[in-house]
Amino acid sequence: MTTKALGAVVAAMAVLVGGLAAQAQGPIRIGASLSLTGTYAKLGRNQHEGYKLCEKDLNATGGLLGRKVEFVVYDDQSTPATAVRLYEKLITEDMVDGVMGPYSSPVTEASANVTEKYKKVMVAPLAATTSIFKRPPDKKRYYVFMVISPAEAYLEGLIDMAAKRGLKTVAVVNEDTLFSKAAAAGAVDIAKKKGMQVVFQEAYPKGNTDFAALLTKVKSLNPDIVAAATYFDDAVALTRQMRELDVSPKAYGVTVGGDLPEFYDTLKANAEYVYGATQWEHVLPYPGNHEFFGAYKKEFGHEPSYHSAAGYAGCLIYAEAVKRAGTLDADRVREQLLKLEMRTVFGDYKVDQDGFQVAHRMVTFQWQEGKKVVVWPDEMAPAKPRFPTPPWNQR
Amino acid sequence: MNVFVTPAMLAQVVVSGILSGALYAMVALGLALIFGVMRIINVAHGPLLMLGAYTTYFLYSALGLNPYLTVPVSMLALFAVGVLLERTLVFRVVDAPELSSLLLTFGISIALVNLAQLLFTSDLRSVEYLTGSWVVGPVALSKPRLVAFVFAGALTGLAFLFLRRTKLGKAIRATSQSREVAMVCGIDVQRIHLITFGLAAALAAAGGALIAMIVAIQPEMGQTWTFKSFLVIVLGGAGNYPGALLGGILLGLIEQVASLFLTTQLSEVVAYVLLVVVLLVRPTGLLGGRET
Repeated sequence: MTTKALGAVVAAMAVLVGGLAAQAQGPIRIGASLSLTGTYAKLGRNQHEGYKLCEKDLNATGGLLGRKVEFVVYDDQSTPATAVRLYEKLITEDMVDGVMGPYSSPVTEASANVTEKYKKVMVAPLAATTSIFKRPPDKKRYYVFMVISPAEAYLEGLIDMAAKRGLKTVAVVNEDTLFSKAAAAGAVDIAKKKGMQVVFQEAYPKGNTDFAALLTKVKSLNPDIVAAATYFDDAVALTRQMRELDVSPKAYGVTVGGDLPEFYDTLKANAEYVYGATQWEHVLPYPGNHEFFGAYKKEFGHEPSYHSAAGYAGCLIYAEAVKRAGTLDADRVREQLLKLEMRTVFGDYKVDQDGFQVAHRMVTFQWQEGKKVVVWPDEMAPAKPRFPTPPWNQR
Repeated sequence: MNVFVTPAMLAQVVVSGILSGALYAMVALGLALIFGVMRIINVAHGPLLMLGAYTTYFLYSALGLNPYLTVPVSMLALFAVGVLLERTLVFRVVDAPELSSLLLTFGISIALVNLAQLLFTSDLRSVEYLTGSWVVGPVALSKPRLVAFVFAGALTGLAFLFLRRTKLGKAIRATSQSREVAMVCGIDVQRIHLITFGLAAALAAAGGALIAMIVAIQPEMGQTWTFKSFLVIVLGGAGNYPGALLGGILLGLIEQVASLFLTTQLSEVVAYVLLVVVLLVRPTGLLGGRET
């Protein structure tokens, strides 16, 4: 054997060993499919930015298990079918070390089938539909975890505040889609529990913008509260037409859409006194929330939405569970996620045995002079609601 | 739920139904014109309406124009768009099998919606100009809807006058009755097609402009209006212009009254069941087919 050949062998071994060492210290790759284009693009992108900021913060504090963290993100164009394909690809082709959830309930519902099949833990920060987590025993999901409050909790604040102020009758209206139906059902439940009377309940089809007949019926019953489980355009149309038909309940609240700045920009003074519900606000006194808000604005040039905060927090929750487990092994991370009680910038995290969120609180705000002012729950509310809502003709 | 319907409530929804019905009628008249004259089912009618709505929105928000003054501007702009579309694309399918025109206008519709999404984004926008209502006895008249009703009524009236009284209008009706005979009589059928398409787009644009002042607009708002316009012209009789007026008011009333007695969800069912019934029992529409 010549020295030359020996040299070659040594060189080859060096490359091999070096390669192995690099492998051991290579980044932890976390895969996710997100709605970067399509209907949910705006919200999906905010969630993506939450993930990116979490990646940055984790790496700045030494990474995870001594390794760097790296997100592998694909665009599902807001369609569940594409997301299913992408999670298959992430898990089987890209061989990612872990996954995080996509945007929205329908996409999560579809994707969870894939992650369950491959026994991958998926913290799903933007899925609010109870039925994704609460399932019959033979169809139970073991590896999917909820972060935000369920749809049923959206109108709780409105009803609770109204009940405390002695209001008795409620009208509930909702768009006839998965989320809104659940939110409306939740409102009816809570109202009944508080001994209130639900005098009217009606669903309207998606895309409906003419509420004249529906509101005529509501007006004839003169309820104390109108609770509307809405998205954005229906929330706007409903509010406008309530003014037009002079429907003046003592409290009126909507669900999604009411928290967007566009809600006020569109309705201007007519948005005053309207209650809305949100998963998160940057003014809430959660640890690190203020810093998160600043860092996010600096990094991405715009304010975070609750989707950003939930994405950021979901990623930190997963990282915390991995840290405690000391491994990426799905079953051991799952154990930790089931036990974990954590307070993040997004609020509290704690799940039951189905991975269903039980600790996170929704907050209710009211539009007051063009600002969203948090008015419920009392312990987090810096201000009182302006109650009761004056009739339209006295504003 | 047990809601006791009082006469006052009924009056309220009948008024609301007539107010929105006039808008339906005006928009559907455009679709009826194109179908009558060119035998084309224009699926892109709703997206043209959407472009009209955005024209008004931008004129209002960027230039600060009074939104009601922008209605004629939107109409002119969309007249031009209609003419352009006809000259470049639609004229190719006038004598082709019906499927070709369906496919073409469907393609135009998708292109317009996606173009709007690219240019204007999917954010909702609205022209918050006139809000609230006038109360007359037990009935609240929504201000923007009442003004829209007046505009729609006036524009539809003008369109009818134009069709009845002017030489060009008569030429349009002649072409609609028989293209060959019209041609023999020396009518430039190509030109009539061009003007008809432009006119229809302008009527849609007027609808869009008025709707922008009533509800928030977004690029996909048009499709519903395509469907509603179809419903209106089938109810009234395809190609029968006064039929569009009747069909529009009828649809407005059905939607509102059904919502009152049943639910908002079922009102759509009622409207479309009626469509099926009309097609089965009186396929030429309530006022009969192409009588112009």
